[in-house]
Amino acid sequence: MDNLDAARLQMAFTLIFHIVFACIGMVMPFFMVVAHKKWLNTRNPIYLKLTKSWQKGVAIFFVTGAVSGTALSFELGLLWPEFMKHAGPIIGMPFSLEGVAFFVEAIALGFYLYGWDKIPEKFHWITGIIVGVSGVASGILVVSANAWMNAPSGFDYINGEFLNIDPVQALFNPAWFTQALHMTLAAFTATGFAVAGIHAYQVYKNRQVELHKKAFKIAITFGAIAAILQPFSGDLSAKDIAQRQPAKLAAMEAHYETQKGAPLYIGGIVDAEKKEVSYKLEIPKALSFLAFGDFNAEVKGLNDFPQDEIPKVPIVHYAFQTMVGIGTLLLLCGILFFVSLKKKKWWNNKKYWLLFTVLAPLGFIALEAGWIVTETGRQPWIIHNIMKTEDAVTPMPGMIYSFYMYMAVYALLTIAVTWLMSRQIKSLNNSK
Amino acid sequence: MLYVVLFFLMFSLLLYVILAGADFGAGIVELFSSQKNRHLTKKTVYRVMGPVWEANHIWIILMIVILWVGFPNFYNVLVVYLHIPLTLILLGITLRGVAFVFRHYDAYQDQSQILYDWMFRISSLITPIFLGMTFGAMVSGQIVITEDYTNFTFYSLFIQPWLNGFSVLVGLFFAALCAFLATILLIGEVDENTPNIYLKKAKIATLVVVISGFLVLSFGFVQEVYFITNFMQNSYSLGLVALSAVLIFPLLYSIKKEFQIASRTFAGIQVVLVLIAAIIAHFPNLIITTTSEISLLETTATDEVISVLGISLIIGGAIILPGLFHLFKSFNMIKILE
Ligand code: HDD
Ligand code: HEM
Ligand code: HEM
Repeated sequence: MDNLDAARLQMAFTLIFHIVFACIGMVMPFFMVVAHKKWLNTRNPIYLKLTKSWQKGVAIFFVTGAVSGTALSFELGLLWPEFMKHAGPIIGMPFSLEGVAFFVEAIALGFYLYGWDKIPEKFHWITGIIVGVSGVASGILVVSANAWMNAPSGFDYINGEFLNIDPVQALFNPAWFTQALHMTLAAFTATGFAVAGIHAYQVYKNRQVELHKKAFKIAITFGAIAAILQPFSGDLSAKDIAQRQPAKLAAMEAHYETQKGAPLYIGGIVDAEKKEVSYKLEIPKALSFLAFGDFNAEVKGLNDFPQDEIPKVPIVHYAFQTMVGIGTLLLLCGILFFVSLKKKKWWNNKKYWLLFTVLAPLGFIALEAGWIVTETGRQPWIIHNIMKTEDAVTPMPGMIYSFYMYMAVYALLTIAVTWLMSRQIKSLNNSK
Repeated sequence: MLYVVLFFLMFSLLLYVILAGADFGAGIVELFSSQKNRHLTKKTVYRVMGPVWEANHIWIILMIVILWVGFPNFYNVLVVYLHIPLTLILLGITLRGVAFVFRHYDAYQDQSQILYDWMFRISSLITPIFLGMTFGAMVSGQIVITEDYTNFTFYSLFIQPWLNGFSVLVGLFFAALCAFLATILLIGEVDENTPNIYLKKAKIATLVVVISGFLVLSFGFVQEVYFITNFMQNSYSLGLVALSAVLIFPLLYSIKKEFQIASRTFAGIQVVLVLIAAIIAHFPNLIITTTSEISLLETTATDEVISVLGISLIIGGAIILPGLFHLFKSFNMIKILE
């Protein structure tokens, strides 16, 4: 493996790890404050117990999120020094604002965790809200920086130099809104279904049923609403990409030949050598419609791009299929949940709980797949049409060892956090 | 605006050193305590640091962001040539943060605590050493900047600059400073009924700081590290260090008299003075390579970028500082009320 591949893999690996913690750190506080509000309204001790247990989860994920994020902010420079040298001043704004948002979050969390019975009840609850809101704000800001890499703006690129830098315009680049919207929804979908799934499993196992049903309901409500909105926002993203990054769109769909009224492929095995897709399901003209809102629009195929400027098609295509497949499934299950609110007897059926248990990891799988589409689909560019990834990588040789080290540390961390969470749940079940 | 940005850079550096330094130091003190005192330290540290420790570490992120936005070329040299120690710092910060949370939030207090505790203590010692080594490497005059990677060995480009006697001594000195800050902080936090074990530790830490500081200077002088010879000729730097040394006396006095606020203030000021002395000795040329010096100010981003950054920092500061102040204050008040 050469230096570039090692650096890419390390970046991918650390981001894939960070995003899980970041999403949970972003969304769990909302579950926590809802449970807390219910405790304040009903004084039902179950809600207090739930709030306190979720608060521990928030604290653990917050710190793991923060340390893995600190690692990333170093890594951007350590792995991609050429990129940061030019991009740093341009996209520094979202990062410095993210720092502020995060700071606010840390302060509010300090108040929340240590403020029980010490600061006024109402104010204490509000600090919980601030934790959630500033977490989401951090997420949106970072995604805006990523959107800039897809839709660079806010500078003039003249003779290899970045002139007339306008950080505000870079922050509000053309892709920021669709990406931030889709990502925020994804965070709620993924965390909602994951947390709900964990509690559904406990109900399935008949442990502390009342508590876990309440927890399930809070988490899945957020998850289901987000899952229902997700495909619409995804459609917006796709239309956006059709305009700005046609090569990415073509790779997502494994669409090789430029065509009017292009069909949409579902599934299929991509042969990147022969430039063919076999065993696919074909929906006539659907791709043209999805991308441009017109059944007869022309969609440019991969064969008509310079061959050194297209991403690895199979990865992007499979990842996209995974995301959309899961997205459709979660949409249906979200609707199912709202129906089940009317049909109370489903809640006594074991299969209902088993279903939501099985769904638990899917949101996160879709989320990672979506990021692989975005990031791998942008290749070979680190800044779309401006700078290639291979020109940005650190000149220091031996990145592969750094990659192994990160792999080892993060693998250990994953195991440790999982173990910690399972102990958290065990203690919740054993308590009276 | 450049001055605003520089101010925030300095400000976050100083706060990071003091707050995170005391935080690292607490782990170091715990490491060098006897079995039974360790537990006491752990409890005290949690009570004092618990609500604020996360916020303490964000200052380093702020520094990094300011550097990469405002001073991209300067930052570029750091991340390329000091890649390895920076990665090791990161590793330390990660393990330490995780260990801190695990040992306080694990649902069960059992055998696994031993593992978390050791992870915490050791990374508390290692991280500031690497931080100090990185700073030592910046000014050690051993960084080689080149495009030609075939005529140099990996060792001479990427290891030698930070893994040498001078940088290691700076690392040890910095770790000693952290321990010093922590002992002074902890003295004030012991309740009346237990004997105050930190008095003795504070004295030892002060001694270690003085000795290792002396070693850094004399080693640098003997090896003719350019930065040190310059430092010794700079009357402001010398003055500040002397002032810091003189402050040891009122510090010892207020420790004896149990003036908590005064002793913390003196200790904080001492550390700030030493840092400022080091920074102004060669400001703004804060990276010294084998052949040249790289100035923080020659490599700034354009004016527009600096002014947007400055404005963001001012707004951010206006939001954060009162909140932070409140956080520190509220929890202090609670402690007094209890
Ligand atoms: C729970 C997770 C999840 C689910 C169910 C979906 N997505 Fe997604 N998708 C993401 C999570 C995600 C993501 C991880 O959040 C991405 C990566 C970058 C981004 O902004 O969002 C993303 C990116 C992304 C992109 C690329 C954006 C870019 O490169 O700028 C497109 C075109 C779609 N999505 C489309 C869809 C469609 C049509 C879905 C229909 C069901 C869908 N997504 C469901
Ligand atoms: C889409 C991807 C990302 C999202 C949605 C995201 C979101 C978040 C969130 C919500 C937090 C707060 C942690 C918590 O509450 O648990 C966080 C922390 C952090 N993230 Fe990310 N992040 C992303 C990618 C990145 C990247 C690429 C970087 C690198 C520059 C980064 C740097 C940080 C840092 C430094 C922190 C620590 C807190 C701070 O800002 O001071 N994040 N992230
Ligand atoms: C947290 C969610 C994210 C995930 C899972 C993710 C995933 C990935 C993956 C898989 C790659 C490797 C692409 C390849 O080489 O094929 C990559 C590269 C990269 N990502 Fe992301 N990414 C995320 C968010 C971000 C954000 C928010 C930023 C920036 C602000 C960012 C910056 C980069 C950079 C600089 C690279 C390396 C250059 C490149 O390969 O183009 N990523 N990421």
